[in-house]
Order: sequence, then structure tokens, then C-alpha cells
Amino acid sequence: MRFDAKNLLAFVIPVGLIVVWQGLSLLGEVPPEVLPAPTDVVAAGWRLGASGELWSNIAISAWRAGVGFLIGGGIGFAFGLANGLSKLSERLTDPTLQMIRTIPHLAMIPLVILWFGIDETAKIFLVALGVSFPIYLNTLHGVRTVDAQLVEMGRAYGMTSRELFFRVVLLGALPSIFVGLRYALGIMWLTLIVAETISASSGLGYMAMNAREFMLVDVVVLSIVIYALLGKLADSVARWLERATLSWHPAYLAR
Amino acid sequence: MTARTLSSRSFASRGLAAAFSPISDRRSGEPTRLSVAGRGATVTLRGLSKAFGSKPVLKGVDLHIPAGQFVAVVGKSGCGKSTLLRTILGLEAPTSGDVRVADAAPNVRSARIMFQEPRLLPWARVLDNVVVGVGDRSDKAAARAAAQAALAEVGLADRAGEWPSALSGGQKQRVALARALVSHPRLLALDEPLGALDALTRIEMQTLVERIWREQGFTAVLVTHDVSEALALADRVVLVEDGAIALDLAVDLPRPRRRGSPELARLEGIILDQLFNAGARPGDAEDAPERARQEVYA
Repeated sequence: MRFDAKNLLAFVIPVGLIVVWQGLSLLGEVPPEVLPAPTDVVAAGWRLGASGELWSNIAISAWRAGVGFLIGGGIGFAFGLANGLSKLSERLTDPTLQMIRTIPHLAMIPLVILWFGIDETAKIFLVALGVSFPIYLNTLHGVRTVDAQLVEMGRAYGMTSRELFFRVVLLGALPSIFVGLRYALGIMWLTLIVAETISASSGLGYMAMNAREFMLVDVVVLSIVIYALLGKLADSVARWLERATLSWHPAYLAR
Repeated sequence: MTARTLSSRSFASRGLAAAFSPISDRRSGEPTRLSVAGRGATVTLRGLSKAFGSKPVLKGVDLHIPAGQFVAVVGKSGCGKSTLLRTILGLEAPTSGDVRVADAAPNVRSARIMFQEPRLLPWARVLDNVVVGVGDRSDKAAARAAAQAALAEVGLADRAGEWPSALSGGQKQRVALARALVSHPRLLALDEPLGALDALTRIEMQTLVERIWREQGFTAVLVTHDVSEALALADRVVLVEDGAIALDLAVDLPRPRRRGSPELARLEGIILDQLFNAGARPGDAEDAPERARQEVYA
């Protein structure tokens, strides 16, 4: 009972804001061409959902985000592990990676449009580029900061390199890897929104830009709300994963 | 009556060794001490030197440890005692000289180390941490059974399913002890494993280590800065000073030893004198080291 009440507490402010927003709209304080009432936004969602337009746009955006994330995250993770484990690999690749990292990846948009046009490759490339660095840096940090005493214990107790990697290094680096993961998920949506807003012929960002052309403010607001919901969903999945795999961590014990 | 007493005693004292050793070929009812004698490794160091860069840490150490002996290595911090232990274990390579651990296959499994910190994997349950110490982990069920038995030996059978972070410092060190012993090592190296524990837990742990050592008959090398701990546990105390053995003292007292007995106090005096170079009593400044050497372990 107490648990439920605590959970509800988080909803007080958002629900309150929506109620106030709706109230002001009904009173005519907020003109609908500036900010449509929440009910209008829901109606727009219903309309677009019924036509199937909404779902196809969400699907294509989620696909771009997922593929870009897997490619970029995979590359960042692989380099993070390699450079954390091998001095040679680190000397060879880390300076270059750090150099590329300093370029804001969204600054690449004009170049990316020239390279790939406005098709899928461009968006996936940008998402992958943006996502790879937080994963790379945090994986590298995690592997590097694994307790050297535990590694020595593993060696003294006859662990093979393989066992040492899977039972000590990887698990020890996991908390840091998750920090990178959650950070990367944020960057993933951000990159996709910008990329789709600037150059796309489908997706949530395109839907919002298209709606702006026709002054459909309710659809613009709807897109923003959906972005927020998807971002929250991705973050919740990451948190759930974190909780499931880090149950040994004192921060997650007895919860 | 006699037979029953004997068998229950021998079971209790053979404990770990007999409870799950797959290679145990000892017949039940055999006298305990005899049955485990010779399980320990013999350690021989000849002219062992070790330098880190240009800084010499060990300077030509000669030491012979017979099988089954409990040796304590004492000395001030930085004297090289931990390096000596790590070199015996093969965690450090000697710069020159020779380390021989005989009567045992020269693999890692025959020697185990307990560190000053428990060094448990925080993401593995207590039981799985002990499984790390099992030499042959290919048979998972057997490894887990062995680990469970080792945990029972250190009195933590009921904590097998917990995370290490739920244990106290002394309990963690007991898990580390179980992990070190689960593979029946012939040589157990103890690198100040009790240094971070509170005084009472420490005495408990000393008793536990002594009991298991007597049951299993491995060779034990304990590095410690606590002279009274060394005297409570060891057959022999080796004092390392500036990378060389300054004193090698036999402690030929019956066990279990009573803390604060006059004989222990006398030996402690000899060691502390040497440690602080205060052996220079009026008139015998010259032969203080000489006196010490007369008590050298043969």
C-alpha cells in the first residue's frame, strides 16, 4: 500500500501539468494554433493511428534507431574491450578515436547527406557514430578499472585467460558499461530526431516536419510526446537490464 | 565405545580431506596425524634474490621448509617478506637463485594463497566464489559439492547462497580460506590474511587456521607483522630484515598454545629485540645475534 502511494507520487506533477494545460486550453487562454489541448493531441494520435501512418513512422524510426545502435554500440564495445585489454591496440587506435570523438557528430550532417543522400544509410550512420563513443569510453573505463587484485587472484587460482575475461574482467566492467549504454540511448534518440527532421521522407521526425508545413500543431506535439515515450521506454529497458545483471551490486541489494 | 569414539574423532579431524577428496585412498580408522603426514610440499630456496628495477628486495635468501611445517615470516613493512612469499608461489619471478617446491606437481593447484584482502568476486555467490578454488572445474556438480564441504569446514555452510557483500569482514576471510583449501593444496601461503580483522575475529581465525592445518597437514607459510600471531601458530618463525633472513627461530611448544605463557613471551622478546636492534644489552652487544643463531631451526 505504501509502495503504491510512493509510486503514484511521481505522477502528481505530470498529471497536474496536463490538467492545468487542458484547463487553460478550455478557457481559451492558450490558442490552439500555439499549443493544442491535450485532448486534441490524443485525438490526433487516434486519427493517425487509425490511418496506420503513425505506426509505420514509429516502426521506421525504431528500426533506424535500433540498427544504428547495434552497429555503433557494437563497434564502440569492441574497441573498448580491445583497448582496455591490449596496450598495443590502445596505442594504435585510441588517439584516433579520441580525435574523432571531439567532432560533434551532428556537424557531419551536411557531409553525410552528400555521401548517402537522405536514405536510410545516412541516418543509421549518424546514429551509429553518435552512439559508439559513450559505449567505447565507458567500456574502456570499466575494463581498465577492474580490480587488479581480483585479476591477480584469478591468475593465482589458475583461471585461464578466457575464464579471467568472462568471470572477472567483463563482470567487473559491467556497471561502467551500463552507464555508457544509458547515455548512448539518449544520444540515439537525439541523433535520430535531428537527422529525420532535417532530411527524411518517413519517420517520426519527418511526420513532425511535415505537419509543420500544414500547420498541424497537434501532430507536431504528438510527435514530441511519442519521442519522449520512446526515450523513456529505452531507458526503462536499460534500467531493468542493469537491475537484473547487477543484482550483486550493493546499490541494488535489498530492493 | 572406544571404536565409536575413535571413528567419530577421526572423521571430525580428517574433515575436509576425507569428506570429498576423490583421490583419497586412506582407509577409515587410520590414525589421523599419520594419515595426513606427507601431504605438504617441501619448499627450498637457494640464493633467492629479487629486485624491482634497480631496487633489491630480496638478497640471497636460503631457506628450507620441510613438508607440513608451519612457518611464520615476520618483519617490518617493506622488508621483503611479502615478496618472499609471492616468489615462492610463482607470482613473482626471482631475479636470481632458485625456488623449488618439491613433492608436488609444479602446477598452481598444489599451492594456494590467501591475500590480506578477501578478494572475493562481488558478482558471484559465496558458493561460486569457493568453486573458483576448485582445481578441476569440469565436473560442476562435484566442484559445487567440494565447495559446499569447504564452506562447512569454515562454518559458513548456511551462507552459500549469499552475495559476499552481505558478509562481515571475518566471514569474507573465512570464505577466502575455504576457497584456498577446497583444492587440498600442499602449500598454503598466507599473506597477512588476518591483518585487517578485529582482535577477537582474528583469534577465532587463528584457531580455525591452526585446526585445519593440523587436520590437512599441508605446508603453511604465514607472512605477518604480528609477532604474537606468528608465535601462536608457527612451528618456526623466520625474521626477514632488509631482504635477508636475520633470525630463524624454532617454536617447539605444544599446541594449542596458551596466549601469554612465559615461554611465548620469552620468544617474543627475542624476536622483538632483533626486530628493533635492541638486542644490545649491557655486556653482550656483540653476541646478541650469536645467541639468536643458536636457536636456529636445524
